[in-house]
Formats: sequence, structure tokens, C-alpha cells
Amino acid sequence: MTTSRLEELQQGAAERQSFSIGELVRRRPETITAALLVAICIIVAVANPAFLQPSTLVDIGRASVVMGLFALGVLVILAAGGIDVSFTAIAAFTMYSLTVLVQNHLPGLPITVILVIATVGGALLGVINGLLVHHLRVPSLIVTIGTQYLFRGFLLSFIGTVWIMSLPPQMGAFGRLPLLQFESANGATITLPFYFLVLPIAAFVTWLILNRTLMGRAIFAMGGNANIASRLGYNLKKLHIFIFGYAGALAGLAGIIHVCANRQANPFDLVGTEINVIAAVVLGGAKITGGTGTVLGTILGVLLIVVINSVLVLVGIPSTWQRLVVGVFILLAAAFFVTRQRNK
Amino acid sequence: MSATSNTKEASGRFLELRNIQKWFGGVHALRGIDLRLDLGQAYHLLGENGCGKSTVIKIMSGAIPPSAGEIILEGETHSAMTPIQSLSAGIETVYQDLSLLPNLTVAENVALNEQLVSGQGRLGRFFDRKRLKETAEKALVTVGLPTSSSFLNTIVSDLPLAARQLVAIARAIATRAKLVIMDEPTTSLTRREVDNLIHVVERLRQENVAVLFVTHKLDECYRIGGNAVVFRDGQCVAQGPIENYTKKQIAELMTGRAIDSARYRTAEPMDGELFSVKGLSAAGVERLDFSLRKGEILGITGLADSGRNELAMAITGVSPARSGTITLDGRQVTIRRPADAINHGIGYVPEDRLAEGLFLDKSILENEIALILTRLCNSFGVIDKRAGRETAARLSEEMRLNTKDLDMPVGALSGGNQQRVLIGRWLSIEPKLLVLHGPTVGVDVGSKDTIYRAIQALAERGIGLIIVSDDLPELLQNADRILVMNGGKVVAEFDAEQATEDRLYQAMLTSKLETAP
Repeated sequence: MTTSRLEELQQGAAERQSFSIGELVRRRPETITAALLVAICIIVAVANPAFLQPSTLVDIGRASVVMGLFALGVLVILAAGGIDVSFTAIAAFTMYSLTVLVQNHLPGLPITVILVIATVGGALLGVINGLLVHHLRVPSLIVTIGTQYLFRGFLLSFIGTVWIMSLPPQMGAFGRLPLLQFESANGATITLPFYFLVLPIAAFVTWLILNRTLMGRAIFAMGGNANIASRLGYNLKKLHIFIFGYAGALAGLAGIIHVCANRQANPFDLVGTEINVIAAVVLGGAKITGGTGTVLGTILGVLLIVVINSVLVLVGIPSTWQRLVVGVFILLAAAFFVTRQRNK
Repeated sequence: MSATSNTKEASGRFLELRNIQKWFGGVHALRGIDLRLDLGQAYHLLGENGCGKSTVIKIMSGAIPPSAGEIILEGETHSAMTPIQSLSAGIETVYQDLSLLPNLTVAENVALNEQLVSGQGRLGRFFDRKRLKETAEKALVTVGLPTSSSFLNTIVSDLPLAARQLVAIARAIATRAKLVIMDEPTTSLTRREVDNLIHVVERLRQENVAVLFVTHKLDECYRIGGNAVVFRDGQCVAQGPIENYTKKQIAELMTGRAIDSARYRTAEPMDGELFSVKGLSAAGVERLDFSLRKGEILGITGLADSGRNELAMAITGVSPARSGTITLDGRQVTIRRPADAINHGIGYVPEDRLAEGLFLDKSILENEIALILTRLCNSFGVIDKRAGRETAARLSEEMRLNTKDLDMPVGALSGGNQQRVLIGRWLSIEPKLLVLHGPTVGVDVGSKDTIYRAIQALAERGIGLIIVSDDLPELLQNADRILVMNGGKVVAEFDAEQATEDRLYQAMLTSKLETAP
């Protein structure tokens, strides 16, 4: 067939290959995130060279683990067209119940088993979300608002409200276990903790699932249009169970790492930070309406938020301004993404 | 199975429906359908909107189960099928909405399903990226699309509609299909693309694939040939080689009444210019001049990228013109947004009535009075419900809606009735000019008839009408004059009474070559 329209298509395809920043941003929105991140780092580094010290970088790395794990879970759910606000409650529930369990009943439980139980426990709570979303046919936002209250209410009513300040020793030890350790110029010891490794591993696994397995493609298919995906033979029930289970597993893992890193278990902790996490994922280029998003973008979004939260102090901006800056960035990035969409 | 059916026939038998019934709530949508599809044959499923065509397709593809009856697939009897069962048996469907995943690439849309189906729907596996590419390339070549890697990696929502339609067809033939169902596959294709599709169908039949078409375009059915299957009110009223029926017979079978295909336009335009544009430029439209008399019906046609859609949107304020003057009733008017057009009495019935025109979950009443809410309000801002109901009742009457229940949600109506609600809504503002964009897209023969009569009645009241459409018979039957657009310009003007489809096509296509760089 040699219609003119086809030739136009082929020409269009050729044009797309030629380099254009607009096109790059449209196809890879995380470019904006990366640019913002670099810009902030440069500004902060110029204003206060102390930023470039290894200790700051290690701090940023350490602070991104819990938020990064949460964000990867949110990414998977957003990609499938859903949203989850219960993951912080899942994390709080698993971390606190597990800490209580280990402290009172199983003091000798090895840390690897604790981590596995946290992950599996989180996954089970996530599966409850998935089943509810699938069978009630209610938007996942509503369902997870409900389960957030449910999980948290159950935790505070039946498990406990006491702040645990002295952790079981194996958990404290895991929080302190070093991956890298070196002396800074002023003689202080800087430690990149071992648990930091969990984030790159989880990011890789998430990338593998989203981009290389049929499950990943099915997740994006459902995010594109759930009705069509079902018509094409994708099993939506399996998908709902998987995405919420996976996000729950990451949340459970994040919860227990949070406890080990902070050396205390506060049942009132974590819940309330979910908007921060969703903001990070959206800043990373995932659309809140579903069907898009990348692991790289999500990690960049998390770094952006963590950098803003932890380094503004270095340039003398009061920490109360952090929210203001994050808010401005979200609006800027959103405006940018939207204009790009319209200009296409 | 009767003893007379010989073995040769039995080997070609692929799918058989026996006494299929389907109820939706209290509605008896299918009343005992018997249908047999043999390999290597083409079938044309014809019928008005709401006659049960889509329901039958959904049952074959496993999207919904029948309420009663048997599905016999390659000798095995099922009471219902799942999508995966249907797909792995080789039943591929090109849905009217194309069912493409807008956020995935062309290659994924075309070839991912093959891997899903061959894995029986299991998701916990890596997919084969090399096979994905190969399968996609092969299918795209068949339908005549490019196979460059940049095209394979294009996100489907970035493609023009015609290319999407071909991508959907490519997906259907990417697997070893045994039955390909195409639900209105040619609505957005040009003539050449349709020719190519007909070749594809020919090839499929030679490869012993059964093809089932659902379409309103009878001409294409005759060109493809094969068997006609006519549905009316959930029953199969005729079945046999299509060449045994004339167009008129088929239309009568579909509607159950005689259809007059003569020219609807009998009146003459009135004296006095109603509307004119001079030097109008907008995205895709270059310095256009034309004018319209009171009560005149002007047809505008052209290929999808000719600028006809942009013209309609420019004069109705949907995407305003860059320059040029618009004169209505002797006064120059400025139209920057749809509200301006409405205030001046210019109405716009968009092509995609579902997405752009109607509030589907709202009632007929609420849809009809949507434009005149401020007028219906008293000084306290409270809506006069009785006046609204009276207006809606009058408009429904005028548009001959087939229901008296004004509280019925518009989404429950057939396509033809929905379109009538939409046109009726514009009558509520007593427009001077009405721009109708594809007024009968996806509308059946019977509804078309009613809509055309309504259009003629409007013109007789002195309203000017512009019909933007690629349904050429529609323009020939209804318009006074027809403008053919190409490359953003008017390249030919015809008196509708003297024009023919062929001459219009010539103008649409040849001028394209002349103006091409």
C-alpha cells in the first residue's frame, strides 16, 4: 500500500528519531525530574560546599530507603491505574506487631526470618486490598482509605499503643550493620548501612517485573484501560491481587527497616507520610491517571524529595519551608508535563 | 447433527451457535440465534443498532456468557466461553472501539496477546522480546503499515485514527486465527486503505480463515462477497449468499419496513445570506471563503486530514480561528470559544457524541435542557422544572425519539436516538446555524432516515445547516451544495443534485496529488 498517509506516518517516524528536547521530555518525563534534582544539587553545593561531603550523600542514601520502597509499590499500583494510600498503615501494622511479637514471644528469631515475615505479612494485608478492590468494584482510593483506617485502628486497639524504645538486639544490630564505613575529614565515622542495599535490589526486581515479564505488561495494559485488558484475556483478579500484594510486601519490608534504622518502634509512626510518597512518584513522571511510570523516574522523584527535605537546612532555609518547596516543584513539574502533552 | 450433512462440510465447520438467548435485565436482546460459521468463508452481520449484533460478537469472543443455548466450537459444546478460551481457539475480534491499549507501543499492542494466549493467560513469565518484534513485523506488513523500529515503538495514542484501526486489525491476524470478527473495521479508513483491507480479507480466506464483518457500509459487503446474515430485534431474519439480495432488500430486512433511498432534499434555500466566512485561517485551514443562505444545507467533505474537522471546530469556537472574518445575519461576529458560538446561535453537534456531546448517565430531560439552564432559572436561580420538562418533551417529539420516558438515561438509548437527543438539545436555543459533524456515524439505516427528515425540517424553518461528513451518499441525499476540502482549502464545489460519489472521490483524491509538494 502506498497511500500518502502511510508515507506521512513513515516520515513522522523518522522525525521522531531526530533529537528534540520536547519529544524527549514527553516520552521520558523523568528528564524533568533529573534536571530539577541536578539544579537543586548545584544550587545547594554553590551556597554551601559542605553539601558535597560524603556524609551528606550517605545521609541522603540512608533516608531514601524507606520512602523508596514505598514509592516502588505505589509506582506499580499507579501503573496499573489504581492508587494506594494504605501502605503506610500496612508498614506500621507489620513493623509494630512484629516487633512486639519478637520482643515478647520469639526473642531469638533471626533477622532474616523477621525480614521475611514482615514482607509476607505486608503482602497478605496488601492482598486484602486487592481482593476488596476487585470484588467490591470500588475505586482503589476509597478502598485503601478504608483499609488504612482499618489496619491502623486494629493496630492501636488490639496490638498496642506503647512506644517501644529498646528493640530486640538482632533488630538493632541489623540497623547498625555497615555496608561501607570510612572516616570523614573531621574524624567522624560515616556509615552507609547494610540495609541500604535493599533499595537497589527492590528497584531492580520492580524494573524486571514491569519491563520484562508478561505480568508487567499486563499491569500497564490494565492501567491503559482495564475493560479492554479484560477483553483481551488479562485476568484482572490476578492483577489486582498481585499489585496490591506486591506493594504490601514492599511496605512491610520498609516498615521493619524503618524500625531497625530508628532503633525504636512507634505505632503512631509512618501513617500520614503517604502523600509525600505519592508526590515523589508523580514527580518522577508517573501519571496519577495510570498507565505510565518508570522505576528510574520514581527513584529520581524520591531522591528529589529526600534532597529537598534534608539539604535545605544546609543553605539556611528553615525546615518549615520544605513543604512549600515540594509543593512548588510538584506544580511546576505538573504544569510542564501537561504543556508537553498539549503541544504534541 | 443431521445425517445429511456430509463429511466435507463438517470439516469446514468451525463455530456454531444454537438457540442462543440473552437477557439484559428485563430486555430480551437475543431471541434464539442459530448461526454456523465455516472456515474460509466471509460473513456479513447486518442489522440496525440494538438488534443484537454486538451481543452475539461478545458471546463469541467470551466477553459475556449467553443466558441459554449452546456454543459448539470445533465439535465441542460449551455453555459459555472465557476470553482466553475463545482467543486460544483462534477467535480474534477487532472491536469497534479498536480495544487498543493507548499507553503501550504498536509492537506490544499487535503481538503481546499472542504470548498471553499461548501461555493460557499465565502472567508470571518473562515475555519473549524477539518473538514480540517478529510477530509484530509480520502482521504489520500484511496490513500495510511500516515496520521500522521507531514505528514499532510508537505509543498507540500518538497514532492517527486510521493507523490505529490498522494496528487493531494487525493484532487480530498476528496469531493463527481461525475466525476474525471485525466490528465496523472501515469507519475511519480511506478508500485505498479499505481496498488493502479487502486484499487482507481475501488472503485470510485463502488461508482457510473465517471472517465475520459487522458493518453499515453495504457497498463494501458486496465487494467482499460471501454470506449475508441479517438480524432484526434479536432474531436472525435472513441468511444466504449476499449476491442473492439487493441493497434495498437488505435494508428492508434490517428495518422490517420499506426504506426510501431517494434524495431527502426537496426544498430550496431561502433568499438572503445567513452566514459567511472570509479568509478564515486556523490550524489545518488556510484562508477559506464560503457563504450560506438561510435554510441552505451545505455539505463539506474531504479526507480525514483535509481540514474539514478543523473548519467545523473553528466556526464553532471549539478551537478558534487565527484570522479571518465570520459574518452571521449581516453582523460580523467574533468566536473565541464555544460559549460565543452558542450566544450567537451557532450550534455544533460533534462527531464523537459519546465523548464530546452527551452526559450518558444523565436523563434525556437533563441532556435536552443543558444549554438553556440559565433561561429556565427564575430570579432566585432556581430552575423551573415544569418549563424544562415541557421543552424537553417538545424537543423529543420534534426529533421523534422512540421513548416517551424523559427520565431514561441517555446511555441506555441506541446510537440513533442518542444523536437525536443531541440535535434536539441544540434546537432548544433556536439556532440560526447548526454545524453537524458526522451526524450519522455508527447509526443504523432506520435512524438515519429519521435524522435526515429532521435535518430537512430544520432547513425548512430557515436554519442554515453545515454537514461535515465523509458519508458521501448522506451529503448527496441531503445537501444543496457540497464543498470538497483538501490541504486546508476548498478544492471543488458541487451542486449536490448533479454530483456523484465518484466525482466527489476524484476531487478528494486527485487534488491531493496536485497540491502535494
